[in-house]
Amino acid sequence: MWRKLPPQTSVLERSLDYRHSPSLRGRFIAVGAFTIILIAALAIKLVFDYSERLADISYDRLLRSALLQMDENVGQENGEITIDIPWSAFATLAQASDDRVFYKVESSSQGFITGYYDLDSTPALPVEQGGIQFFDRQYSGETLRFAWLERYLTEPDASGTVRIALAHTRLSREDMAASVTQRAVELITLVALVSIVLLVIGSQLILRPLHRIEQELEQRTPGDLTPLTLKTPRETYHLKVVINDFMQRLQTNLEELENYTGNAAHQLRTPIASLKALAENARDIGKPEEQHQALEKIVQQCEALSDTVSFLLNQAMISHRLQSKSLGLIDIVQPIQESCRAQALTAFRKGVMLSFESDLDEAVIVGDTMAIEQMMQNLIENAVRYSLLEDSNERREVIIRITPLPHIYRVQVIDQGVGITDADKQRVFERFYRGRYDIPGSGVGLSLVKDIANHHNAEVQLSDTAPHGTTVTVDFPAFQFKGDHQ
Amino acid sequence: MRMLIALLCFGLSSLVNAALPVWFGSEQASRTLYIHSTLDMTSFRPLLERFVAIHPDVRIGYIDVNTLELYYLTVSETAQPTASLILSSAMDLQLKLVNDGFTQAYQSSETDRLPRQAKWRDEVFAFSYEPVVMMVNKNAFAAGAIPEDRQSLLSYIRQQDDKVAGRMGTYDIRTSGVGYLMASQDARQADATWGRMLEAFGSHGVKTYCCSSDIIDDVATGELVVGYNLLGSYAAQRANADDNLEMIIPKDYTLMLMRTAVIPKRADNPQDAGRFLDFLLSDEGQALMTSEELLYPIRPDQEATHFAMPLGPTRTIRTVDLDQQLLVGRDLVKQRRFIRSWELALELSSGD
Repeated sequence: MWRKLPPQTSVLERSLDYRHSPSLRGRFIAVGAFTIILIAALAIKLVFDYSERLADISYDRLLRSALLQMDENVGQENGEITIDIPWSAFATLAQASDDRVFYKVESSSQGFITGYYDLDSTPALPVEQGGIQFFDRQYSGETLRFAWLERYLTEPDASGTVRIALAHTRLSREDMAASVTQRAVELITLVALVSIVLLVIGSQLILRPLHRIEQELEQRTPGDLTPLTLKTPRETYHLKVVINDFMQRLQTNLEELENYTGNAAHQLRTPIASLKALAENARDIGKPEEQHQALEKIVQQCEALSDTVSFLLNQAMISHRLQSKSLGLIDIVQPIQESCRAQALTAFRKGVMLSFESDLDEAVIVGDTMAIEQMMQNLIENAVRYSLLEDSNERREVIIRITPLPHIYRVQVIDQGVGITDADKQRVFERFYRGRYDIPGSGVGLSLVKDIANHHNAEVQLSDTAPHGTTVTVDFPAFQFKGDHQ
Repeated sequence: MRMLIALLCFGLSSLVNAALPVWFGSEQASRTLYIHSTLDMTSFRPLLERFVAIHPDVRIGYIDVNTLELYYLTVSETAQPTASLILSSAMDLQLKLVNDGFTQAYQSSETDRLPRQAKWRDEVFAFSYEPVVMMVNKNAFAAGAIPEDRQSLLSYIRQQDDKVAGRMGTYDIRTSGVGYLMASQDARQADATWGRMLEAFGSHGVKTYCCSSDIIDDVATGELVVGYNLLGSYAAQRANADDNLEMIIPKDYTLMLMRTAVIPKRADNPQDAGRFLDFLLSDEGQALMTSEELLYPIRPDQEATHFAMPLGPTRTIRTVDLDQQLLVGRDLVKQRRFIRSWELALELSSGD
């Protein structure tokens, strides 16, 4: 069978390979999750800053209100500045339920009036008379939030300033900030987690078409190369098209190979059958001279068969080469000249002159040197063969000519042989078609020429040589550097 | 004034140090818990005895101290407190101890059960209520003439001018912390009434005392006709035991104090202090206060059929909040001014 099974990899190897392959979905989830976590972290940072500010704003209001109530009750009694702290001031502060309260009232003339003597009541910020300032300061082992006020006394006979510092600990502020933060963090965490879960589910959904293609291909019978008809999303459309193209190519190749093999077998069967017949004939003939003649025929037949086989091998080799090797920049003058030289002696022995005509030093095309040589060999052999059929006393000559044309290098093989009928001209490029069975040949020569020419984007034409004979013209597109407008 | 306080403080602390503790529990007990308290022994003995019965490894040294003395003693002993648990009815001084950083926090399942308003910062805990009441000697009143509130007391004083002269008693707010608290809260609740009461007291030669029990003693003997602003638990106990005495829960408003406990910051034995506090707050301790007619328990569910707490829903109860507001009453200037006006009204000189 022509079908070659892929080398069986072990299950272990496969699973190892699978495990070490980078995962599209994993990458998608990782990048998505990373982004979500980054955003969540930023949001949490913002919430932390915000909640502290919010708590300070709220509780500074309490502190301000209590301070103002105290300030209102600063007065003069028996010529002394004094303060009658209202109960309500501290009822206000009691809203910050667990916070310790400290205060100090001083005047510029009397110094300490009441409160906590050792409380540091120096302002932390530039003083603005009558304005309240807030700041944090350590006292009694805790950080206190201070509301601080200094103003000029307005009482009659009083001069100087009175200064009130009222402070409380930061417990309630921290509790409030923490509760705001905690709720926000809970919410953000929840949203982030839900997003990640959705991301995971979404990635599964997104990659489902790929799995469907995979399943579809896996479930196929081994010989099924029909295109995928699966309805898939736009993103996988190209993948599908590429797979279909690939399968199309595979299908074509397989078909060609099948035809070729079938034809080759058929073509080999006929000469082998005739060889057998000749051999049987030789065995049955009594006369030694006739027998000798018969054996001579067998040898000829064997040579023809050998030619056919080598043609087939050449073609197989060339088509494999064309399919597997990428083309490069090559010069065709050199290989064509080589081909002529290689065949010149053989042709000369048969009475045919080969002449090579070219003024070019170099003709660069995109192609494969070996294929070009093979093509030239086939063309020259054909030309020589056809030249020999012409019964004439003229000098038999085959001309190989390379002519530069705009964007093209024209390679011509010109013989003055019997020529090819117009009907045959249509068919000589078909594989195994032989114009004439009276000349040796496999019938694959020109079809290989055609294949090679196609592979080089070259055009092949057959025309008649005057007065008789055939001209094969192959036009190779010249390699042009980009931007070379000639 | 500060000088005076310092002197007072020194004098008091030396006095207290001389006072010997009353011991409870076995002498062989491995640990000792000193309690400084303002509670009269009669109201507290059953609770102490019960505690050492449950915890035989603890021996309690119980030292009875006046409320104001107790405050200065605690402040002066900051570095090395004698007592690991301080119990006082002067909730303002207790709260000031907490605010000024002389106490440590304590938390247990029992303190967690306390309602929010009965504790502050997990450092001061109320274990019983104390209604502020009046007490009269029934013999001095005609039937049905016993005053029910401050107004009727004032009109009685007006009518019985000579009868009540020199026969009324109340706390000396200069020496009693709880006396000051009650007076300042009275002034806060009803300033006008308080002014008239002071005026009436001043014009009729009111006697001042250090303690509830002394006032009640004098009311019982008939030396006093009326005692004003007394602690309800003591008054109720004595009124139950003595037919001559009647406790009056003023109908216009009734102040409600709380007895509180704190653990000093550097207490020797905070573990047992906590254990004792837990016992006071436990169902058993609270039930014992009721059944032995000792105190008014702090947890309302213990109040079901209480011995002498006829505080119906019609009563206007003014519970003194256990929070930062108490600090206002103890403001230096405010306190000095309040005591001065009290002295002036009662015609007492500050040198007294």
